[in-house]
Formats: sequence, C-alpha cells, structure tokens
Amino acid sequence: MRDNNNSNINRKINELKYQISRYEDQTAYKSLFFILFPSLQNFIFTILKSRVWAEEIASDLMMDVWIKRERLQDIENLKLYLFVSARHAALARLKQENKIDVFSLDEVEVEFISDYINPAQASECTELEYKIAKTVKGLPPACQLIYKLAKEDRLKYKEIAEILHLSVKTIDNQLAIALKRIAEVIGTHKKIFP
Amino acid sequence: MSNDRIWMLLTRKLSGEATQTELEELYAILAVHPEQLHSIEEITQLWNQVTPQDTDFMEATFLAHVERMKSRGIILNTDEPVLDENEIEKVKSISAWKKFRIGIFATLAIIIIFAGWSLLHSKNITDTQSIATKTKEVKTLNGTRTKIILPDGSHVWLNAGSKLNYQKKFDSNVREVFLSGEAYFDVVHNAKKPFIIHTATINIKVLGTQFNVKAYDDDKITETSLIKGSVEISLKKNASKKYILKPNQKLVLLNEILLDGDMKVKSTHKDSGDIAMYAPQIKELTYLKNDNNTNVESSWTRNILSFEDEPFYEVAKKLERWYDVSIIFENKRWEHQYMSGAFENENLAQAMNALKFTTGFNYKQEGNTIIIY
Repeated sequence: MRDNNNSNINRKINELKYQISRYEDQTAYKSLFFILFPSLQNFIFTILKSRVWAEEIASDLMMDVWIKRERLQDIENLKLYLFVSARHAALARLKQENKIDVFSLDEVEVEFISDYINPAQASECTELEYKIAKTVKGLPPACQLIYKLAKEDRLKYKEIAEILHLSVKTIDNQLAIALKRIAEVIGTHKKIFP
Repeated sequence: MSNDRIWMLLTRKLSGEATQTELEELYAILAVHPEQLHSIEEITQLWNQVTPQDTDFMEATFLAHVERMKSRGIILNTDEPVLDENEIEKVKSISAWKKFRIGIFATLAIIIIFAGWSLLHSKNITDTQSIATKTKEVKTLNGTRTKIILPDGSHVWLNAGSKLNYQKKFDSNVREVFLSGEAYFDVVHNAKKPFIIHTATINIKVLGTQFNVKAYDDDKITETSLIKGSVEISLKKNASKKYILKPNQKLVLLNEILLDGDMKVKSTHKDSGDIAMYAPQIKELTYLKNDNNTNVESSWTRNILSFEDEPFYEVAKKLERWYDVSIIFENKRWEHQYMSGAFENENLAQAMNALKFTTGFNYKQEGNTIIIY
C-alpha cells in the first residue's frame, strides 16, 4: 500500500515537472510547490534552526525550479535534486553567518510537518498517537531526522543516504531502532489499555 | 537476534525497500511471534497515514513566495484573485497614506519610533476594511487544544475554549493578532515588524519571544507570563500605562478595573482573597513543587493540566475547559479551598477522585455537570 503511495508521489512530481517544462504550466508549478516546499523548509530548518532562513532558502530553491523550467526534464530525480541543493544552500548560509560549513547530525533540530496539526484534527489525536509522537521526539536527533525523511518525506534509503552523506546500512539500522522503540510503546500501551 | 530483525524487515517493507526473500523472512518470524502483530498493525497504519496539509496556510505561503519572485522581477500570474485585490488596495492606501502624512506629521514621528516604520511596508495602516476581509479565525471548544502556525512562522498553542484571529498574510508593518482565551506564543524574531496581541483589556507588543497569555472573557484576571525574551504590555483603557516583563515574570491584571475603569468595584467586591490583586501585579512564575522544570502557566502546552495553591473556583474553571464539563458548587465553602495538582493522562473521573482524596469534598456527576457538595 505504502509502496504504491510512494511511487504515486514520484509519478505525480514527474508529471508536474513535464507540465512545467513543456507548457510553462503555472498551476502545475503551484501543485509542485505544495508538495515539495514544506519538506524542503523543514529539512533546512533542521540544519539552520531558523524558520525565517528556512522559508527564504526553500523559496529560493522553488524559484530556481521556475527559472530553470526549460531544462527541468534533464533532472531525473527532482525531489532528490532539491533536497541535495537544500543541504548545499543551508551549509552555504551557515558558512556566511557562522564561518563554519559543517553541521553535526547529532545537533539537528527535527520538526515534523505533522507537528502542525490541523485544528480540526487536533482533538482526534489519541493518547497512543501522543505517546508515539513523544517517543519519536525522544530519539537521538540523527535517528529522528532519518525517520522523518523516510516516513514523512517518503524518500528512499539510497536517497536519504545521499542527502545526509551516510551509508545505506546506517539508514537501515537507524530506522530499525526508531521502529523498535515505537513498537515498545505500543506494546506497553496495550498492556495498560487492552 | 530475531526480535530486532523484525523491525528492520518491517521498516524495509514499509519503505518499499524489502525484497521478496525479506518479506518471506518477515512473515516467517511473525508466524513464531504472533504477539507482535498488534504493534505491526499499528505501525503500518501510522506509517501510511497521510499528513494533512493546512491549505489556507499553504496558500498564504505560496502567495508570499510569488511576491518574493515578483520582487526579483519574475512574474507568475497565478489564478489567485487575492493578488489583484492586493494591487488595488496598495493604490488606495498609498493615497490615503499621503493625506495622512501631510496632516499629522508629529503623529507620524511617534509611529516611526513605535513600530520601526518602513515606508515600503506601510500599505495597510489605514485600510481596516481589508484587514477585516483577510483575517482568519481559529477557535477551540472546551476539551480541545490546538497548535497554529502563523504566516510569519510563529507558533501558537491555543488552549481550550479560546479564539485567535489573525491576518492571513502579515503584510502590514505590524503583525497583529486578536486573542480571547488562553494561548502560548513562540514568536519569530523580526525587529522590523513588531508582533502585537490584542485582548479585551490589554495590548502586548513583542519582537520575538516565548510567552503565555491568559485572557478569558469570563475570568476575573488577565495574565501575561513571560518565558523568554521581553514583552511590553499596555492597557487598552490607558495606553500610556506600560509594563515591561523580564523572563520568568508574569503580569496579573484585574479585568473589572480595566473594563469599567471604576475604582468603586473595589468596595462592592466581596472576594477578600483577591483584594491584593486590584493593583496590577508583577509576580514570579509558579513552578510545580515536585517538578522544577514545569511551570503552571505554560504546562498546558505539554498536555499537562496543573495548578499550584489555587482556590477551587479557579481550578474549577481550568477543569471545565480542559474536560468540557460544568462544575457547580452546591456547598460554597469548597470554592475557597486552595489546592495543587498536575494531571497528564488522567481522565475526568481520575482527576476528580484525586482532588477529592486530597481535599475532602464530595462530588457527583450528572451528565456533563459535576456537582461539588
């Protein structure tokens, strides 16, 4: 089911990419913005920890997509391309502001898109969902980030590895750790509230 | 160890990375460990959950993006009628602005100092109508809380029974929101655009900071509690009266005075416990006795309902909003019983029983009403 979902999104992005490059389709551009902007903004925030910068850089990246619309078809994996560009741009900003251009995965501050709960749905958040969210927040920052990129941004192991400069093996291990913790919470919850 | 192997295989399956052999391996392990099925079902559901998108918020974000592109000379003609409307407003308010400028230069000087004025950003100052049509309202019922992210990226947690109005785009020279009820603000720093919160009785001006505002219409007091940064509070009734808070301080104001402006209420007011509060008071935040990291003022944003040495009638208000019930004191003597407590996962019955146990009152529940006797 999820597999489906995952490739659906990628297919959708490819369709939009084609529409934009071939027809300068502005509605397609807007749809692409809706899909990619929040993920990019969140990812940049994890490195820079500034919402203002994150919004600015993500906006620049999306602007570039429009400026380079004629050559968009040359980019095979647009989502990955933008995430890698986001990393570069964030590090460039870090260098400009702090004179350093490295960041530690142990110090990232991970925000989830789902943190911004839709008001209508906030009240429906169950106790278990709350406990799981709390558990995820308690994971080491690098583990949280990998979990977020896999679950929420629907990136493949290889893509996450490329974006974060880690090995696929590490991604595999970290995700297993995250899921194991969540499973433990679900297990204890079930014992208390069978 | 097969127990860890399950989770690795499951993650691979969920991410669409698993090979056929790995899937078969997972099913084989599950056949031996059926007790894990429940967790696996829950996780699968969680993983496949689609994160809902706040469309209004995204529209506003996209619009801001289009404006940025425009400022770089890249014109995108979106199908948004809002854009054209905006253009008209700009023209309208510029002429209004010119008249205003010629008229009262002195006032302008004050406004420049007050708001870090920039001519470029001045378009909506006199145009109250456009503000009215472009605001958004978020409301919470009793028993529910929510988190909102404002167009500038500031975060707001809205407690039960509260209402927040704000502009869909913060495109004037100030960021303004209107609050009735209780909210915790984490405001993005922007010295050029002060953030102003209007309540029924006070205005709070900030540049970027974290603080809690409790301003329920049916409460006796309005409370502003500062966690980080600094805020400036002015009274609606008397704007020249200003209070500046330091972190860990709160300003407590009595609403009756602020609304009526009549000191006579002092003599008619029977509640001796509140006499000390007639004058605006700056107090320290209250931390829980058994948890020095949690203060009573903002603990609700972490899903903790807490009170430290508060009279039962105040606690009852918190309980009413938290659990969406109404509480009636059949025996008035309990109203002034002071109590402390912190509830995180407790349901209404558990909370009431804990309070009953420590305080000694009796209660009965009839539908959504709790009667204290």
